[in-house]
Amino acid sequence: MYFIRGFLCLISFMLFFINLANAGPFSDFKASAILSEELASSPTQKRDTPNSESLKQAINLLDPEKSEIWPELSRLFLGELAKVNFESEIRVIMQDHVEEPHEVPLIVKLPDHLHNFKEFILLIENNPIQQVIKLIPYRAIESIGMNVRLEDDSPVRAAVKDKDGLWHIGSKMVFVSSPGGCSSPSCDVTTEICDPGEIGKLILKNYDREAGAGRLKIKIIHPMDTGLVSSPAGEIIPEYFINSIFLDDIDGPIAVMETYAALSTDPVILIDLAEKGQSIRAKAKDSHGLEFFSFKNSSIM
Amino acid sequence: MVFVEVSPGIFINFGKNEAPNKANGWAISNTGFIIGDESVLVIDAGPSYQYASEMIEYIKKVTNSQINYLVITHHHPDHSFGISKFLEIDTKVIISNSELKNYLKYGNKLLLQMKKKVGDDWFENTSINEFNNNKQKFPFSIDLGSRKIDINLYTDGHSGGDLTVTDKNSHIVFGGDLVFNERAPTIPHANILNWLRYLDEISNFNWSGLVPGHGPIIKKKNKLDFTKKWIQHIHYIARDAVKKGLSPAEVLELGVPEFLSSTKLAKETWNRDVPVLMKHYENDN
Ligand SMILES: [Zn+2]
Repeated sequence: MYFIRGFLCLISFMLFFINLANAGPFSDFKASAILSEELASSPTQKRDTPNSESLKQAINLLDPEKSEIWPELSRLFLGELAKVNFESEIRVIMQDHVEEPHEVPLIVKLPDHLHNFKEFILLIENNPIQQVIKLIPYRAIESIGMNVRLEDDSPVRAAVKDKDGLWHIGSKMVFVSSPGGCSSPSCDVTTEICDPGEIGKLILKNYDREAGAGRLKIKIIHPMDTGLVSSPAGEIIPEYFINSIFLDDIDGPIAVMETYAALSTDPVILIDLAEKGQSIRAKAKDSHGLEFFSFKNSSIM
Repeated sequence: MVFVEVSPGIFINFGKNEAPNKANGWAISNTGFIIGDESVLVIDAGPSYQYASEMIEYIKKVTNSQINYLVITHHHPDHSFGISKFLEIDTKVIISNSELKNYLKYGNKLLLQMKKKVGDDWFENTSINEFNNNKQKFPFSIDLGSRKIDINLYTDGHSGGDLTVTDKNSHIVFGGDLVFNERAPTIPHANILNWLRYLDEISNFNWSGLVPGHGPIIKKKNKLDFTKKWIQHIHYIARDAVKKGLSPAEVLELGVPEFLSSTKLAKETWNRDVPVLMKHYENDN
C-alpha cells in the first residue's frame, strides 16, 4: 500500500497543477494585491492541499462577484442596502495555509484614511459561525488582531464602515488542511473534555509602538464553545462564549465589541491605537451573563 | 517500504522527506531495526497499523530472531502510531513515561486530524492503545544476543522525553527527532535550551553514524549545525515577538529568515511552529 498509493497520488497531484495553470481566477487573485507585497515576494510554497476542485471553487469564492455566499453575507451583516467597496489597501494578514484550524492568528491593518472608521466587522464566509466580531471604536484605531476558528477553506473578509456609511472590504483566502475548527473538539476527542482553565481570567497588556503609538492586547480564558462539538459521551456541548468586551482608559471609552464563538478558545484581541492608552481597563461578558474585569473595583465601570 | 542495511544487522527505512500528504500516508520519518542472535529491536513504529504490519513482514523475511523490543523515541504520530500492531505480537514497548502520557493524551485528537488530512484508509485498524512501560528507568542496556544496545533518555529536549538507541557493535546511534538532517526540525513540544545542550552532548559521542528522525544518515558532526541554528533562531524570534506583543500573523508575514529558508519544509515548519512557540512563551510570562 505504501507503494501503490504514492503513484496514484502523483497522478492526482499532476492533475492538480494542470488545473491550477488553467485556473484563471488564481492569477487574478494574486494580482489583485490581496497578498501584501512582502508576502507575495516571499518564496512560494508547494501546496499540500491537492484537492483541485475545492481549490478552484475556493478561489472563485474569494471573488465576491462569483461568491454565492457573499451577497447574503453582506445583506445579513452589513445591511440590506449596504454600499461596499473592495480594497486591497486593507491588509488581512494571516497564513495562506492553516494546519491547526481551532486557532488561526490574524491581524487587519487599515490604511490611514480608514483609521477613523465607525464600525469594524470580521466575517469568515464558509464558517457555520460567520461573524467573528463587531467593533465600534471611540477613537482612531490602526489595526485589529485576533485568533479565529476556521471550519474549512474560506475567504476571510474585514469590513470597515467609514464616516459616510460606505463599507470598505479587505479579503484573504485561507486554505485549511484539516477542517473542523468550529465543529471538532480542540482537545482529546475520546478521553477528556477540554481543560477549562480559569474561566474569565482576563489578561491585559499595553505595548509601546513607534512614536508614542500603542498596542493593547486582551486575552480572556474562556472555552468559547461553538455549540457544534460533541462531548465524548456524544452529547452536544452547548454554545457558551464571550459576547461582549468593553475597553476604556483615563480619556474615556476606547472601543466596544460584540464577539462570537468563531473566536478561538481563550480569545486574544489586539488593538493598535495612534496614541498609547493610559491605565487601560477591560470588561467582558459571556453568554451566561457572567462578567469579567481586568481590574479590582468593578463598580466604577 | 525499502529497508537499507546500513551496517551488518542494522536496517533503516528512510521516510519521505516531505510533509504528510495523501501519497505518503504520513510515512515521513525514519524507522529501523537491529538484529541480534536472539532478539530484534525496532526503532519507532511508523505512522499506522498498516505501516507496522508491513515492517514486521519485512523483518520476518530477513531474520528468525524474535521481535522482542520496540523503542518509541517520542510520541509524535509519525513515530508512534504503529504501536497497536506491535502490541498484538507481544513486543515489549520501550517509551519514556512523559511520552507515554502524551501519546495517550493527544493520540486520538491527532489521529482524527491525520485522517482528515491524508485519508481514513491509511489508518485502518490504527488505534491508540493503553499499555504498560513498567515505569522503565533510563539509561539501560539490552542484550539482543551477541549485541549490546544502550538506551538513553533526554528529558524535556525536543519532546518531554526522547530516547536514543546506541548499537555498541557498530557505534551507530539512532537519535530520534533530537536530530534532523537536511530538513527543518519540528519543535512543538520542545525546550530549546535543553535541546541545544543535548545536541552538543550527542555531537561529542564517538559514533560512526548518526541516524536522524528525518533525513539521511549523518557521518560528520557539522551536519548538526543546521538543526542548532534553526532552533536557536526560532526560539529567539518567538521570544522577541512575545515581548513586543506581536501577533503570530505578523511574524509569519516576514517569512523564514533567509539563511534558514533553503532547507526542505522550511516554510511549512516555520509557519506551524512559530505560533506554537509564541504561545508557550506567552504562558510563561
Ligand atoms: Zn518526527
